Amino acid sequence: MLSKADNSATFAVVAALVLFFIGGILTTVVPPLVDKSWARPFENNDPAKGPTGKLLPLNEQQLHGRAIYVREGCWYCHTQQTRTLLADTKRSGWKGVDSPISTPDEFVYDTPHMFGTKRTGPDLSRVGGKYDTQWHRTHLRNPRDLVPGSVMPPFPWIVNDETEFKSLVAYLQTLGRAKNWRPDNDYER
Amino acid sequence: MPEDKSLQSVAATPLRTTVVHSDATAKWFVVSSIAYFFIVGIIALTIAAKFVWPELLGTVSYLTYGRLRPLHVNGMLFGWLLACDMGLTYYLVPRLCGVKLYSEKLGLATAILWNIIILSAVVSLLAGWNKGWEYAELPVWVGVMVVIAWVMFGINIFATIGMRKYQQMYVSLWYVMGSILWTAFVYLTGNFAVEFTTGVNQANLNWMYIHNAVGLIFTPIGLAAAYYFIPKASNTPLYSHKLSMIGFWSLAFVYVWTGAHHMLHGPISQWLQTIAITFSLMLLIPVWAVVYNFFATMKGQWQQLRENVPLKFLMSGVVFYLLTCFQGPMHSLRSVNAIVSKTDWIPGHAHMALLGCFSFFAIAGTYYIVPRIFKTKLHSEALANWNFWLMMIGGLGFFVTLWLGGFWQGWQWNNPAIPFIDTVKALKPIWTVRFFSGVLIFCGIVAFAYNIMATAVNANLEGGL
Repeated sequence: MLSKADNSATFAVVAALVLFFIGGILTTVVPPLVDKSWARPFENNDPAKGPTGKLLPLNEQQLHGRAIYVREGCWYCHTQQTRTLLADTKRSGWKGVDSPISTPDEFVYDTPHMFGTKRTGPDLSRVGGKYDTQWHRTHLRNPRDLVPGSVMPPFPWIVNDETEFKSLVAYLQTLGRAKNWRPDNDYER
Repeated sequence: MPEDKSLQSVAATPLRTTVVHSDATAKWFVVSSIAYFFIVGIIALTIAAKFVWPELLGTVSYLTYGRLRPLHVNGMLFGWLLACDMGLTYYLVPRLCGVKLYSEKLGLATAILWNIIILSAVVSLLAGWNKGWEYAELPVWVGVMVVIAWVMFGINIFATIGMRKYQQMYVSLWYVMGSILWTAFVYLTGNFAVEFTTGVNQANLNWMYIHNAVGLIFTPIGLAAAYYFIPKASNTPLYSHKLSMIGFWSLAFVYVWTGAHHMLHGPISQWLQTIAITFSLMLLIPVWAVVYNFFATMKGQWQQLRENVPLKFLMSGVVFYLLTCFQGPMHSLRSVNAIVSKTDWIPGHAHMALLGCFSFFAIAGTYYIVPRIFKTKLHSEALANWNFWLMMIGGLGFFVTLWLGGFWQGWQWNNPAIPFIDTVKALKPIWTVRFFSGVLIFCGIVAFAYNIMATAVNANLEGGL
């Protein structure tokens, strides 16, 4: 049947587009209509169902921090997803407590999304509350002062701009915090 | 020159045509793309060096890794590879149709606009105007210019095909048409539709675009070139028309489904992951159909690889295509993905597709057309051979070390007893080898750029552009 495309450009074009749109529509337009959890912000008040908490939109300062995170390309080396792998829940965990896995409802307000494709540095999906402001200041000025062997670039122009620095830290401290996963609320500020 | 046997199979191809092609558009696209290949090559080396010496240029905000990496990716994809492929398309479409290009004026305007786009991209990415979507970092106004340029390209090519003298269309023409149309929709999705979505929904669109930027832009336009230049450069008819049809139509159907395989084990619906895995495995069909066709074409002709540099690039590109497209389906399997995903395996895989395969095709095409469009001889066959071996050895060094390193890295990540920083330190020898492989590849680029520029300059000295 498709041999008609040998001689007819119109036929070739129509057939190529029809085949493309079958898969295109079924995998991009349909999934969010089927899986409502992609658009429903996380909220849970029942400890029996796992970590409690509520996803809140970022405030102005946190959004500014997020814009800096996007601008500097932090997301090229740091993913933001604790996958359904045991090792991921251990690595995103902290002080002996495993992290809950990331679910679509934790990212409803994210744009641009920051899931990432490459982990040159550790995953940041649960970094919120793990390190205090002073740690971030030292680390961003020169990562190797705190983590010998790190290949992260230094970011002195952020640390030297108090507004930018505070915004970035404010954003980092929100990461993974919709799910209140730390026992005793032992988050750093 | 022996009779051009390749044309017997190239159904209804201009054989002894009287059409005189101007090729001005092809010249501009190819020459400017090579300039970007060289410039962006310097950036590529710089970011590879930053893995070995992280302090390098570290206190200058616009030369930091996070700014240079998108410039490297966008520069290589759109400045070099796509522009070169477009130049090759402007060459091969009029010849397969037996007519002149619809409009050289429109083509030249497209070339100028394309250069404006690339220069705007350099400025905006260094300034940190990054939208935050991989492969779609460029500001909206640059994206709009890309769309306009693509429409101008599409009008020119479709109008040429519409005027064709030969009714039957060779497989390269379908791939070119497919590429132009699919690219339009894939690009609009990845650069504009994402603006109206958030979270996982947006990520799904973004990865549909990322995957299909390679699968439905660079693959069809690159295969169009390979289908044209392998028979041409080897002076051998294509093995099977039927097999090329299977390859094309299965590609059209299968590729677009696979975007979600970038989020395996991640926060996206399991059933969508399974669909992506299933269709990723089916990618073996179009790939093997194409690769078998090319290998069978070369049957009894392999001795030509000794002397013929374009053919060396083409057939090594086919081997890398086979390898990279075997890797792809394999690491979409959940078990393999749990090890290699997010590791250095991934850049190894991406570079084998875009450098080892599609850039090799583009380089081969350039070596084939440049003496013809400038109506002169190639400046140096020996230098072209050096270009091949530098890129081949550098490329293999790059790919193989990153696969081994990435696999090893993934295994370490899966053992949570190993602190993360130790998995970083373990990769340092790998990154050092990658940097020095990059130096070899860059030397290949220099040889390539010099050879082509010298050919063009000689032609101008002899007889004018």
